[in-house]
Amino acid sequence: MIRLQRPFLLFLFALLALSAWQWRHGPPVAADLLALLPQGAGDALTLQAEARMAEPLNREVLLLVGHPQRERLPALAERLGQAWSREPLFERVQWQLTPDLPGLRQQLLASRLALAPGQARDELIKTPDTYLQARAAALFDPFAGAGALPLEQDWFGLGLLLQRQLTPASKVQFDAGSGLLLTQGDGLSWALIRARTRADAFDFDAPPQVEALIEAARREVVADGGQLLAASGLRYAAAGQATASREMSLIGGLATFGTLALLLGLFRRWRVLLSLLAVGVALLAGSAACVLLFGQINALTLILGASLTGVAADYPLHYLSKSWKGGPWDATAILRETLPGLSLSLATNLLGYLALACTPFPALTQVAVFSAAGLIGAYLTTVCLLPAWWQRLDLAPPAAPLRVMQRLLELRLRLLARTGSLPLLLALLAFCGAGVWQLHLQNDLRLWLGQDPTLTREAQAIARLTGLQPTSQFFLVRGADADQVLERQTALGQRLDALVSAGQLQGYRALSGLLAPAAAQAELRQALAGWGERLQPLLAVGIPAEALEAELKQLQQLPDLNLDQALAGPLGEPWRPLWLGRTTEGGAAGLVSLQGLGNAQVLQTVAAGLPGVQLVDRLGELRGLFVHTQRLAVELKLLASGAIFLLLLWAFGRRAALRIVCLPLLAALAALACLGWLGQPLTLFSLFALLLITAIGVDYAILMHEAIGGAAVSLLGGLLSGVGSWLSFGLLMLSSTPAIANFGLAISLGLVFSFLLAPWASPPVSHEKDLRHG
Amino acid sequence: MRTLIALLLTLAAPLAQAFDLDDLATQLARPAAVAGSFVQQRYLRALPQPLTSSGHFTLARGLGLLWRLEKPLTQTYRITPGAIAKETPAGWTPLPGSDLAARQSALFLAVLGGDRSGLERDFELALSGDARHWQLRLTPRGALLKQVFDGILIQGGELVEQVEIRETQGDRSLLRLDGQARDALSADQRAAFQ
Repeated sequence: MIRLQRPFLLFLFALLALSAWQWRHGPPVAADLLALLPQGAGDALTLQAEARMAEPLNREVLLLVGHPQRERLPALAERLGQAWSREPLFERVQWQLTPDLPGLRQQLLASRLALAPGQARDELIKTPDTYLQARAAALFDPFAGAGALPLEQDWFGLGLLLQRQLTPASKVQFDAGSGLLLTQGDGLSWALIRARTRADAFDFDAPPQVEALIEAARREVVADGGQLLAASGLRYAAAGQATASREMSLIGGLATFGTLALLLGLFRRWRVLLSLLAVGVALLAGSAACVLLFGQINALTLILGASLTGVAADYPLHYLSKSWKGGPWDATAILRETLPGLSLSLATNLLGYLALACTPFPALTQVAVFSAAGLIGAYLTTVCLLPAWWQRLDLAPPAAPLRVMQRLLELRLRLLARTGSLPLLLALLAFCGAGVWQLHLQNDLRLWLGQDPTLTREAQAIARLTGLQPTSQFFLVRGADADQVLERQTALGQRLDALVSAGQLQGYRALSGLLAPAAAQAELRQALAGWGERLQPLLAVGIPAEALEAELKQLQQLPDLNLDQALAGPLGEPWRPLWLGRTTEGGAAGLVSLQGLGNAQVLQTVAAGLPGVQLVDRLGELRGLFVHTQRLAVELKLLASGAIFLLLLWAFGRRAALRIVCLPLLAALAALACLGWLGQPLTLFSLFALLLITAIGVDYAILMHEAIGGAAVSLLGGLLSGVGSWLSFGLLMLSSTPAIANFGLAISLGLVFSFLLAPWASPPVSHEKDLRHG
Repeated sequence: MRTLIALLLTLAAPLAQAFDLDDLATQLARPAAVAGSFVQQRYLRALPQPLTSSGHFTLARGLGLLWRLEKPLTQTYRITPGAIAKETPAGWTPLPGSDLAARQSALFLAVLGGDRSGLERDFELALSGDARHWQLRLTPRGALLKQVFDGILIQGGELVEQVEIRETQGDRSLLRLDGQARDALSADQRAAFQ
């Protein structure tokens, strides 16, 4: 083994160099936990649409500046807006609108025939006389509200109808005097400010910078007697990043400290601390492998990975625990004895991780890669480096722990002599059955994000004050060309209108609300051709016939308006993100976004029978995928267990192999049952923990079976590595992210059962033969 | 001569200040009700003749405005601080809540009732004259209003007598009011506000 020292050191230097190169531009760490969720199953266009809809979430910051005195808002908003505009972080900061009136008028004039389908258009076509009478009255109504078009360009009021349709009333109102977007609520007046970041939100630096700017702005506004509310996907990212780094240092620190104390307390030699080298190499190898394979390493992987510490220390611990065997501790000789066991446990672990890596869940894949690479690193360190450095290490560990183990084993034998293994097994299975029966599944995405209540409260307040409640579901509408997309969206719109009037949906935005398809424009032109006979109401109030006829003629000659023209005008701005344009297959596609959805279930049937219309429900899809992944992970794990069984069959024979494979599964089952008894949910994460437990359990079982130095020494080795693992994984119970805490709890339970069941993997003793099932 | 001018100026200064915006607001808000007739003329560049309409109105302090259009067609409107409604056979029907219309009605009430803070939000106010004959010039503040209005000129004595709105594109609207202050509303008028 000494021969391997030099090549290993070379490998270590290479690893260091690789890591240094990977970290040359700062940490390659991604904070977006959602990036670990699987990609949607849809085609390229669906993915493009999802990216388009997610963009505002990742890049926009919405601020509401509130003050009891409305007249102070312009100055407050102006100061904040100006300050943020100077920040290089932002691409655009908008606090004041300066409507382009000439552009607006031009667009209204050009779009008059393209009035989108709805009640107003129906009236023009079906009951023109009623409409014209009302229009004549409106000319003398001092309160009818003036349109942007001057009266002599809009005698018939089509421009006004269009303007009302494209700028519907909302809670946020444009204040013509100050140019601000204002809303009222909670006893204050509020001005809306929107900022858009230059970088992508999940660039590592942007979220904390945005959070710092928000806090600085809040202090200023509060100092002036106002209030500030902010909502942005970036804020969640910032909170996630802060939690990750805090917990990583807390849990990693506790784990390292605990492991140190354990090593020093038991072996009382400074040199045993070299075990931590295995941990260091494991972390380095894990993160290097992840960055190499995925370009970045996710913060979540790092948290779970940091807890790999204890597992990586398993190998040196097993190795050191053989010092209780008695006699002089010869590093090389012990290594030679334990090497087959260590190698087997590495192989079985790798098989387990391989299974996880095959799930379609990036989170599991990344953690599996990290762990596998880390374990290989720790194994190589233990095998190649430590024996050389531990030559002539004189270990004399205290005898007490060994005596406790011996007493425990004797106790177990006495118990077995009285009851036999079978009743115990049946009792355990009954316990498991009852526990599993109480178990409930939970796949809420909220588990995934540790939700900061302050952020959520602010986001809810903004949604309430502005009436903006975007939903994650939307419709993707495809067609042969833009016109067909408009027609299909019109058909979809009619069904959505029904939901809106039933109160199940607050509203929606579709391209078909911006303009009517060409056929409908022609229909309106046709209908207006008959208006020459119906001018009496307007003539009666004194509008000259020439003026009316000239406008009718102009309307007749108005060319068809196409979608690109409509989007280009100032009124088209809110619709622009909805247009995906030409698709690679030669068609065209557009989106329909939704607001204020009560129950996503009502959307399921809306698209039925409408060609080219597809509901995209990322959250629903994810929930389905969570369930699917859970099933897949279990299947893969069973498959991996089969592979491990074959491997052990070759090494130990049938009976031992069966026990070594079944004991960890039983431990995992018991832990699962405990979750049920405790009322804790089974999530993807606790499932992952249980899968990990089966890998760790196989380790213990192999080492117990090998029984190098006797059962008590092996059991002590198992206890030590169990405590080590708990120090790392179990401490994750402290995490404030529910998913991670759930993981920590499951693993702690599993470790306890693995340790309790491990003695059954010992080579059979005469009076213990009745345990056949493992 | 110069001394004489200086003397006149010093004498005139307190006189000019004697009637300020607060005085005007108080003066206009004094009567419990104002009722009378109105004539509105819209001078449009495209038309040789102005579009003319006329009718009667009742302004009740704290309640709002009843606006009865009689020519060229008959229609009654009710403007209260929060809403505008139109009289139909089915009763008072609120007009579709266009923000601009709501703002205009608020502005209209502010002008007639002398609510200064409502006007100052969007316009710069310049008052000249005295209590019996004053002129209030409104110049828009915001970029959008500047693109729409050149200005608004309000004239009056004890009550508002004339409102002239000049639009940037050359159109002009002239509203003449001939009202009488009343101490109380008639029962009919009061009922209309319920």
